Amino acid sequence: MTENKKATNSSAIQKRLIPTYIFLIIVCFISVFPIYWMLTAATNTSYEVSTGKIWFGTNVVENMKVLLERAAAASGASLGKVMWNSFLYAGAQTVISIFICSLAGFGFELYHDKNKDRLFAILLLAMMIPGVATLIPLFTMMSKMHLLSTVYAFFLPGIATPFMIMMFRQNSRNFPVDIMEAARIDGLSEWKIFFQMYMPVMKSTYAAAAVITFMNAWNAYMWPRAVMTDNASMTMQMLVANLAGGYTIDYGVLMLGVFFCSVPTMAIFFILQKQFAEGITGAVK
Amino acid sequence: MKKKLLSLMLAGVLAVTALAACGGSGSAGSDGAADSSAEETADADAGSSADSSAEEEEVALIGSSDDPNTLTVAAWDANFNIPALEAAEAAYQKVNPDFKLEIQEVSASSDVENAITLAGSSGDYSQLTDIVLFQDHYINQFMMNYPDAWQPLTKDADWSGFSDDKLSYSTFDGTHYGMPVDNGAAIFAYRTDILEQAGYTVDDFTGITWDKWLEQAKVVKEKTGYALMSMDHNGDDLPYMMMQAEGASQWKDGKANLVGNDTFKSIIEVIVQGAQDGTIILANDWSEYTDTTIIGDQVAGVFNGNWIIPTMKQNTAASGNWVVTTIPTLSGKEGYAANGGSSLYVTSNCQKADLASDFLTYTFGGGDGAIETYDAALTNGGVISCYGPAGKSDLYNQPDEFFGGQTVYADIVENGTHVPAVEQSDYHYDLRTLVGNLITNVINGNDIDAEIENAQSEIEFTMEE
Amino acid sequence: MIQSGNRVISGSLIFLKKGEKKGGVILNKGRSIQAKQQAAGWIFLAPATILIFIMSFWPMFQAFIMSLKKGSSANMVWQTPIYHNYERILQDKTFLTAMGNTFLYLIVEVPIMLILAILLAQLLNNRDLKFRGAFRTMVFMPCAVSLVSYALIFKSLFATQGLINTVLMNLGLISENINWLGTTGTARAVIIIGLIWRWTGYNMVFYLAGLQNIEYSVYEAAKIDGSNGWKTFWYITVPLLRPTIVMTAIMSINGTLQLFDESVNLTNGGPSNTTITMSHYIWNQSLGVGVAKFGYASSLAFVVFIMVGILAFINLKVGDVRD
Repeated sequence: MTENKKATNSSAIQKRLIPTYIFLIIVCFISVFPIYWMLTAATNTSYEVSTGKIWFGTNVVENMKVLLERAAAASGASLGKVMWNSFLYAGAQTVISIFICSLAGFGFELYHDKNKDRLFAILLLAMMIPGVATLIPLFTMMSKMHLLSTVYAFFLPGIATPFMIMMFRQNSRNFPVDIMEAARIDGLSEWKIFFQMYMPVMKSTYAAAAVITFMNAWNAYMWPRAVMTDNASMTMQMLVANLAGGYTIDYGVLMLGVFFCSVPTMAIFFILQKQFAEGITGAVK
Repeated sequence: MKKKLLSLMLAGVLAVTALAACGGSGSAGSDGAADSSAEETADADAGSSADSSAEEEEVALIGSSDDPNTLTVAAWDANFNIPALEAAEAAYQKVNPDFKLEIQEVSASSDVENAITLAGSSGDYSQLTDIVLFQDHYINQFMMNYPDAWQPLTKDADWSGFSDDKLSYSTFDGTHYGMPVDNGAAIFAYRTDILEQAGYTVDDFTGITWDKWLEQAKVVKEKTGYALMSMDHNGDDLPYMMMQAEGASQWKDGKANLVGNDTFKSIIEVIVQGAQDGTIILANDWSEYTDTTIIGDQVAGVFNGNWIIPTMKQNTAASGNWVVTTIPTLSGKEGYAANGGSSLYVTSNCQKADLASDFLTYTFGGGDGAIETYDAALTNGGVISCYGPAGKSDLYNQPDEFFGGQTVYADIVENGTHVPAVEQSDYHYDLRTLVGNLITNVINGNDIDAEIENAQSEIEFTMEE
Repeated sequence: MIQSGNRVISGSLIFLKKGEKKGGVILNKGRSIQAKQQAAGWIFLAPATILIFIMSFWPMFQAFIMSLKKGSSANMVWQTPIYHNYERILQDKTFLTAMGNTFLYLIVEVPIMLILAILLAQLLNNRDLKFRGAFRTMVFMPCAVSLVSYALIFKSLFATQGLINTVLMNLGLISENINWLGTTGTARAVIIIGLIWRWTGYNMVFYLAGLQNIEYSVYEAAKIDGSNGWKTFWYITVPLLRPTIVMTAIMSINGTLQLFDESVNLTNGGPSNTTITMSHYIWNQSLGVGVAKFGYASSLAFVVFIMVGILAFINLKVGDVRD
């Protein structure tokens, strides 16, 4: 194939792909437009937002000022503190969750026997329990353990989820068992196999699990609202809910708050997206 | 016993994970040859457990504060109730300079209700603030279901300054539990400039029957394009307020009184007629109600609790043209109603009940700081007092330019004292939803009698256990 | 890894010695190591399993007990007869409406969303396509946006005076503003559109991942055979993606049957409860609106739990996967 031929070939391919491009551009426009709208709204006054202005305005500094004031008044500290709380809780939940769930996925798949498979099937049932039903019993439990208003109350119900275990379990099927045997003969303990072999190999699964868990923890509202009752532990979701409540709502400020609320989750996906796509590969085999 | 076992088990799990995390970072450190990502994960684990234990110390603070001069209070709405509380704090600091009020902002009244429910269910009241703001329609139910969540006020306020209607919510078996804050008295405000275009004055809309109102509203709509009233139909308070203006209730002896209640049926017919004529706009939700219909300049009339005034003022173009008057009735007499409103209650978690009572009576309860509190609450939050004497202050009697120089605040306080007390129910909001649905269905062409019967049976179904 | 293997040889000796001691006879050594490994397996899965039992099953058991009782949560008493709450469900018109709504969303939304997601994944899997990463990120973005903003954005877009109506008016497609959220049919449509908007990208990522497992040469072969895009899609992509489809279907069915956010935040169940979902109704019965009825709410939750379970089971059987 000459250089020339290749070029015409690829330009022919690109030509054939034009409908695909158009379709994708339309889909992306629909996907991204509301986010664009959120960005413009954050720079406008409330009146401009509710009258449907969809271009960037000049009120962003003013909105930011109000947002900082509201955050400081509501949390007793600052917007930074509220953001930090959200990061800390979501981060703690993510790290502990992927650790515990990967450990379980490792145990369920690489040491699997009939009993473990049966147990796993039972655990899957927990996926189907409606959250509303367990709110009161869980709250009572947290209260009995004196964990209310601590980070433990925030993450305990969310760190072991059947879905995460399933993801690690399925992904573990790609794990080279032979190497494990070799390591055992070398005298590596089971724990060391997990830490020194399993964890590095499963890097991308960890990335995918981290994205999903962080997203869920970051966006959690109902449960944190119930158990994190003091101002010092306010999260971004609570702040935004406060901005959206009341008789008069300032939409510019609200959208700026929402923007701060959305950036971390989008950023994390953006950073980890390559591993994310690889990471769930195994889960769907 | 079971609980103990459970917590022990959980503690075990936590210990195991903590050990695992520590063991992980330890082995990675000593071997020094572990793959970098394993090390990272393990380190992150150890880091997070350290973080979380630090956090635990930091938030060990519970709902109440250890400081003897600090009270905590949970309230919603940073543009309304919270400025009122700040005003009270400032007023009380004049006699008690060390006093501090820590305000915990929540997003809505339901947050406070849920906090009480959860505390009551678990028997753990330690997360509650010393004082909570609580909406009037729900307090009765929460008093009955969670009696351990409250404590009575230890000091008497100037109760004679409040209307019976307002006190009927916060008094139980003759004991005062709550301190009223805002006045829910309803206003019916009209745009004089638009009425003029249609050939009317405000007097033509004062002391009239609803039939006449509908007739005139239609003329206004035809000549100017403006509707004469709007309402958030997602939480439709119109039927309730209109019934109260008649001195009637949707309840009788603790049961719903819809079927065979002619007043109720007539009122529904008025609303449906208005909606069909386009003179009453039933908005889909709160933001559409406030932003599109009121601020968006679609209506020449606003009928709601007076807390709607700050919203009206956002439509600055209409300034100077509004006038507040009374509510039409079926008979044509001038009607008075109230909607919304809440009071402050001391929870059982409060260890400083005397301080709390003293603070509340000194400020909201008609003590020496009352005028200062209510004046500042009006200026900063637009909160209108339901304490009669507060309406006598200079500030309340200043003409308001937005209302064309009317002394609207004094008028509202005055109107508030005329509101008839009507039978209330714990199922107020359940019925409100059902009646809202009823109106929607009748507008869509369903038979009104069948719908009323349906609503009656639905509410009965809801109330039985 | 090999390095670390060498470094812990001394450790391995200790390990063997211990095994011998415990096993006693050499014949038993293999079995005892195996037993040890099995034990290690149980230890690995223990924390998560215990947590799930404590944080999900135990509260669910308590909720079941509650579902046989009545009264406010502080002091509940047994219902008479004890199954009365379950009896009551059958007469509860609003719950039956909610069930109808939820299944409507399920039947309409899940297939559209999944097909769209597969289609997008297929298009984005084309190696000749440029800017694949950018497209992928943009399509995924909606599910990273926080719920509050998404609800607000949709509400204002579909408001009576909102952008959608303005655009449709300018295009001459409608002659007067549509009350999207105030009319039953359109309000349901908005909920479905919202769901598709938010979750298509999420599911697409799973399909994209699944497609990585299909050898690219299969497609090349299909191309040489002269199959067009659609044929390739239906006869190659869809069958090979079956396990992924089953998994995403279970996830979506589970999510839709427990649908809550859209109903609460977009329409609040209105107009007249014609868009309310089961979870939203359960929420209203417990903490949401009016007098809390935890007993009844729990019995409703159990019914939903059983429905989700049955559907997931059917799905697995139809999909016939190993798990």
